[in-house]
Amino acid sequence: MTNIENKIFSSYQKDATLYDEIFDSEGQIKEVYQKLFSLYGEHSIKDYVNLNSKAKASFFNQGITFQVYGDKETKEKIFPFDLFPRIIDPTEWDIIEKGSIQRSKALNLFLWDVYHDKNIIKDGIVPMELISSSDNYLDQMQGLEPPEGIYNHISGIDIIKHNDGKYYVLEDNIRCPSGVSYVICNRTALKRALFGVFNHYQTYSVTNYAENLLDLLETVKPHGVDVPNTVVLTPGMYNSAFYEHSYLAKTMGVELVEGRDLFVENDFVYMKTIKGPEKVDIIYRRVDDQFIDPLEFNPDSVLGVPGLFAAYKKGNITLANAPGTGVADDKAIYTYMPEIIKYYLKEEPILNNVHTYHCSRPDELEYVLKHIHELVIKPVDEAGGYGILIGNKLSDKEIELAKNQIKATPRKYVAQPIMSLSVHPTYIDDSEEFEQRHVDLRVFTVLGKNKEFVLKGGLTRVALQKGNLIVNSSQGGGSKDTWVLKSI
Amino acid sequence: MSIEYTINYSTTNTYENIVKSAFWQFLILPESNKNQELVNVKLNNSLNVANEISINGYGFKTVRIHTKKEFTKLLFEATFHVIKNDINPYQFTEDNTEEIKLINNINYLIDFESFLKCTTYTKLPKTDHKLFVFDWSKTIFQNLQNLNNWVYNFIYFKVNKTNIYTTLEEIIINKHGVCQDFTHLFCAIARKNKIATRYTSGYLHQGNGYFGDSQMHAWAEAYIPKIGWVGFDPTNDLLADINHIKVCHGKDYQDCAPLKGVIYATGKNKTSHTVQVLSQQQ
Amino acid sequence: MLARVANNLFWMGRYIERSEHIARYLNVNYFSSLDAPNQRSQSRQFVLQSMLFMVGDPEKDEEKTLKENEVLFQIGLDHDTPYSIINNIKYARENANSARDLISTELYEALNKFYHYIVNYSPENFVKSGLHDFTTHVMETTDIIRGKIRGTLLHDPVYAIIMLGINVERATQIIRIINAKYNDALNSQGGYEDKFSKSFEWTTLLKSAESYDMMRRLYKKTPTSVSTLEFLILNPNCPRSIMNCLNEVYKLIKVLDSTTKYNKNSTAFLVGKVRSEFEYKYIEEIEGDFQNFIEKILDDLSQISLKMEKEFFNY
Repeated sequence: MTNIENKIFSSYQKDATLYDEIFDSEGQIKEVYQKLFSLYGEHSIKDYVNLNSKAKASFFNQGITFQVYGDKETKEKIFPFDLFPRIIDPTEWDIIEKGSIQRSKALNLFLWDVYHDKNIIKDGIVPMELISSSDNYLDQMQGLEPPEGIYNHISGIDIIKHNDGKYYVLEDNIRCPSGVSYVICNRTALKRALFGVFNHYQTYSVTNYAENLLDLLETVKPHGVDVPNTVVLTPGMYNSAFYEHSYLAKTMGVELVEGRDLFVENDFVYMKTIKGPEKVDIIYRRVDDQFIDPLEFNPDSVLGVPGLFAAYKKGNITLANAPGTGVADDKAIYTYMPEIIKYYLKEEPILNNVHTYHCSRPDELEYVLKHIHELVIKPVDEAGGYGILIGNKLSDKEIELAKNQIKATPRKYVAQPIMSLSVHPTYIDDSEEFEQRHVDLRVFTVLGKNKEFVLKGGLTRVALQKGNLIVNSSQGGGSKDTWVLKSI
Repeated sequence: MSIEYTINYSTTNTYENIVKSAFWQFLILPESNKNQELVNVKLNNSLNVANEISINGYGFKTVRIHTKKEFTKLLFEATFHVIKNDINPYQFTEDNTEEIKLINNINYLIDFESFLKCTTYTKLPKTDHKLFVFDWSKTIFQNLQNLNNWVYNFIYFKVNKTNIYTTLEEIIINKHGVCQDFTHLFCAIARKNKIATRYTSGYLHQGNGYFGDSQMHAWAEAYIPKIGWVGFDPTNDLLADINHIKVCHGKDYQDCAPLKGVIYATGKNKTSHTVQVLSQQQ
Repeated sequence: MLARVANNLFWMGRYIERSEHIARYLNVNYFSSLDAPNQRSQSRQFVLQSMLFMVGDPEKDEEKTLKENEVLFQIGLDHDTPYSIINNIKYARENANSARDLISTELYEALNKFYHYIVNYSPENFVKSGLHDFTTHVMETTDIIRGKIRGTLLHDPVYAIIMLGINVERATQIIRIINAKYNDALNSQGGYEDKFSKSFEWTTLLKSAESYDMMRRLYKKTPTSVSTLEFLILNPNCPRSIMNCLNEVYKLIKVLDSTTKYNKNSTAFLVGKVRSEFEYKYIEEIEGDFQNFIEKILDDLSQISLKMEKEFFNY
């Protein structure tokens, strides 16, 4: 234990095996955090108790909540927010930003290819089975040209820092990645609570996301449209991310529509307004592929719009993201990302991939079964952190069970070395102290026509349970304001 | 030589309760291809709303109608004129050299991936993989012809015994069904043997007493290397010929369902279709 | 603006306004009955009956003894009665939720806080001793919310639709209150001093419409049936009068429908017609045929609402 001279950190427990974001291995405060550390030291822990409860109330009153559905009643919960921001210095951010753009572009080219000539498969880089066995591959997208060739307009790339101090990508989310509204709300909340610390740092603003998103979406408007009419399509107010949908619509200054507000006539899409039908050109949809059009996909969907896909196929509207992007953010595709980047961009990947063992390959399956206690086992088709098994946390019985599951359907699983997510001081309600908690970072990238935008901030998610590595909000995660510095 | 057909399609949908709003999509327009030409189309519906022509996700022409007026009954009628060229379906030379190599070629596997995979309707029960075994000393075409004949004999044609939800498992046990069921079984076994096969929907001219009743017909098309797509009609143990007027193809029935609707109403509904195919030699 | 969302905003306005009138009616009638000048008006049963009459759920069995805590709970915090204050606020917030992108954060936050306050209000406490506290909170908060509507929204069609909801509902509720108190005044006619026209209930009525002080200022006399009804129905300067509400509705509908073309099927035309008919009524004419008058105006208001739905909220 190193002696830390700061009363709010007087009882901060440091686990030497973990990579701490603010203390180096000698226990010294890293340069970027020094000012913040001394500023925070001016407050007592009582102040934090107080500020923390005020911040919570502010989120709750503003209705920045998500719904948790229980047996009896629906509860509204706030996404826990932490008072200690995460700081990323300009050099590190530069890597993250460039790496995220590189990945998004490569994924976009990959999508174009798998819905056209499938050269990457013919050239033997990615196996055919990954595409043909994927539920997220849509035959209807074959040969279709999305406006300006963009599929994954919005990507959310989940990045962690391992104990070697390097950034690794854990996952690419290119269906309907969520969380960007929290980035902005966290900043607002932290500004309200601790306004005094901001003027000591040159931090990039995060409030420009919506206008950039709208700008970039407008660059991929349908052919022949002059001034496009954009809308956000939500499944409705009972969706857990409804707050975000309404937030985005409001800050973009566009209508927030549900499926029942839209209709299709002669392959054009209209919304029903108080002044009659109004044509819609760009739909930022937060409704999953299967539900967007009951005539093409799930026929029971009431969230979608009959005829929407035909309008899209005809080129009369832009859908963001394009249908069928899910095939590329499958965890099995993830493992081929370094090859995919090299294949399309002729570049070395900027961000690292975690080494992945494919249980579908006999030799790798054998390795996985042998070393299961050192690995994380992931089902390839589950989102939200469900079904993940962490080898060193399993009992003997659970290990046996897991092995049998994997052996039964090897194609369903991949395994990765247990990555040690970096930790960051986080204010903990129960102990009323700052403690180490694991964090990751979701970076939001927007692709437009010859233009891209990365939100300089991103969502730092925190696993609030001690020792837990799973940061998803559905699994009890929280978040931090994330500062990207213009200069140190 | 060619034949001109007049095809009448009509459907009546009656609803128990008042429908507030509805959206239908008909996949019934004959396509134009190298063997057939759609000359003209007449469409009519009892709601007096526009008949919109659109293209579905698989690239086939559809007719769509939608209304916000309340109603309980819809009558929809379509009349097509199609000119069909008389082409001998055996008009190719068989060449089985390297056939097996070609169907295992990565390009074949990738390009026809959709028609090689097993779908809900083309899933064979595990125990029935050996129902019909290919003889690899023969050509693919010969094997498929044998399969066509085998399916024809295996299933007894009987209407109203199966519906659009019937699985292959039930059909194999009960051994009766209609053209859809014949076609699904054919596709399932052909795909099991790595031959790209697609479900085809269309109209059958029944002048010669073929099975197919007065509904839309279904048959299969298989892609044979160096030959291309060849149509097999297992319901009638025939190759698709001048009597088969194609509308569309897909992985199985689901991609080709002639009528899809989104209806905002409660209660039951009844649907009936009739199809009439008349010919006149040119 | 989307037709569906417009409909939701209209109803948000209506529910907010409705919860306020119910709260005030409970408050005023309960507390003014405590020291009412005659026995009938003081009677607990009489007051509880009146409350149920006002929310449109009168007890039909005259023999039945109503229990105070049950009636109060039913009207205040019962999730199972559709007209309860808690449900009105719940619906208002749900409607606001679907239109969050159109309204200001300040307005939403005020309504959301209001909702959480009401949802967490203890029913036991409410029926035992919280009636005054609870209803006062509802009255004050609805005022704050209306303030946020006026002060933080763009005065555009969104605003017009919310205010339309508020004014249509206000007119409806004032009529219901007038009707309930008219009924009470009829029922409480006792000895020679409590004749109908000088009933104590007219004072309660004015207070239930938050109009007592201004009425006194204008008429400078104890309220009578004629002066009270005249003030609450016909005086265009009384912010709670039916006349005032109709004038507002007419102004607001013009924001949505700016055409100057003659269209006898438009909502604006209907509102204008109802308003003009009203403008030239006199109170003796109304009093002579009170029941029909009440039915006619309620019907007119619901026709206006239906017409709006067809013209603007059709989705």
